[in-house]
Amino acid sequence: MSKYFYVVRTQIIKSLTYEFNVYGNIIMQTIIMITSACFWKALYKDQGTVSGVDAESMLTYIIISSVLSVLLITNVERRIEASVEKGTVATDLMKPISLFGVYFAEDIGNMTALVFQNMLPILLIGTVLIKAPAMADVRDLPLFILSVAVSFLINWLIAALFGMIAFTAVNISALIQVKKHLLRLLSGSIIPVWFFPDRVAAVLKALPFVYIYQLPLSIYIGKGGRAEQIGQMKIQFIWLVILLVLFCFAQNRVTKKVMVQGG
Amino acid sequence: MIRTFRELCHYLDVTIHVIKMAIMTIIEYPSNIAGWMISNPLQFIMGFAIIKFVVESFGQINGWTYGQLAFLYGLSVISHALSMIFFVQGWFMGYYVIEGEFDRYLTRPLSVLYQFFFTNINIFGVTDLIPGILVFIYGCVKCEIRVTPFFILQVVVMLIGATLIRGGIYILLGSTSFHTRSAVDFGQYTQEIMDKTTMYPISMYPESMQFILTYLIPVGWISFYPASGLLGIENNVINGGFVPFITLLVGIVVMMVAGLYFGAGLKKYESAGN
Repeated sequence: MSKYFYVVRTQIIKSLTYEFNVYGNIIMQTIIMITSACFWKALYKDQGTVSGVDAESMLTYIIISSVLSVLLITNVERRIEASVEKGTVATDLMKPISLFGVYFAEDIGNMTALVFQNMLPILLIGTVLIKAPAMADVRDLPLFILSVAVSFLINWLIAALFGMIAFTAVNISALIQVKKHLLRLLSGSIIPVWFFPDRVAAVLKALPFVYIYQLPLSIYIGKGGRAEQIGQMKIQFIWLVILLVLFCFAQNRVTKKVMVQGG
Repeated sequence: MIRTFRELCHYLDVTIHVIKMAIMTIIEYPSNIAGWMISNPLQFIMGFAIIKFVVESFGQINGWTYGQLAFLYGLSVISHALSMIFFVQGWFMGYYVIEGEFDRYLTRPLSVLYQFFFTNINIFGVTDLIPGILVFIYGCVKCEIRVTPFFILQVVVMLIGATLIRGGIYILLGSTSFHTRSAVDFGQYTQEIMDKTTMYPISMYPESMQFILTYLIPVGWISFYPASGLLGIENNVINGGFVPFITLLVGIVVMMVAGLYFGAGLKKYESAGN
């Protein structure tokens, strides 16, 4: 275990190297958050409640969504692509620790650095400039934290599964884009799925994406009863198990037949 | 005169070869072609669907009907696609600075900015262009626009202007890497901000933000002002059919500023390993 902690620590130090990146990211994310807030304020101008959510809850939703998006950054797919393309994956595989364990540890390290570099500043800026994103019911906090933890894992597994395509396709930058757009639009991170027509929403609820953003956020703003939330968390957990099984299966297959460019 | 003409022919010749090479490199990874073919249209189809859902849930957006929003969205996507084809490299300028890739361009007898953008021409941008044109045509039909030669001229002029504005902004942002020496990739964020400010009417935002988007970061000129000019929707800054030409003017100014800033940055460039 200690070797993985070592990777986590190295990654944190690495993330702290470029100071400008930190400020740049904060500024950009703040702009995005404020535009989103203005967007929803304008939409709610003449409306009280739409689809059971009022303007105040929607603003909280946007702030927490921005905060979550910091936690849910993964680098594993690009990491795999780069190491397959450059051929370093061969030496990585020779090392006496699990390949995907290292990738996971790196992403954890990245995330830990980002909590202090991005998440807290953005939460602070959002509170000052938009509103204090108070939780609807503080008793839901354990539920919220649990669902965020599961959504982090689901998000990482989806990214890792996408990254594994690189073992056969080598260059997957386009596919990474596909995944990114799918995630952005289908997870409810920008526009909650409850504004979609019923049929579309029903299809999306069967896919794992809404359980990455929308479920934790719904719990946070207290949308739907507790029974509904727990029901959704069960589905979230089922998706975690399905993805985990897929991941283990795929991991065994790809590491057995590594193709290195020029080798 | 003849020398300038010869030089121009030379640039044109190089451009043709470069496009040929760009096509050859994209054939190298078949999965990539498939990926872009799905990714880009998917993104805009979903973006458009979301506008539809929002309009259905909330009624009009700040007085703009669904057809007018489609018109605006189409124009925005087309200019986005054109800027992706020619100027997407601006997003990755940081990597070029860090990795010392500008060395190669500096040793060749062609303008650095030209080489930087045109030797990496992004043919895949065409996959953005098609959904954009489709949505735009849909918007035109919904708004019952009469297509006259003058209308076509207005649209072409504003698209050139809008592409220049976008490209100029990418170059400006990318050139900051010369000063900060970091490889931060603002592409994703720029894209997200541009989406929010060019695909919806900016009149829905607070006054202060409208001011910024009109005069400081001229994003409003990319689609909002020319589209409201073309559709005859009143706004409190500028109205009339001549707005597309102002977009072109703004585009040229932004591009010139960006070019100067890039030139200043390049002087500070000191390759990798120093």
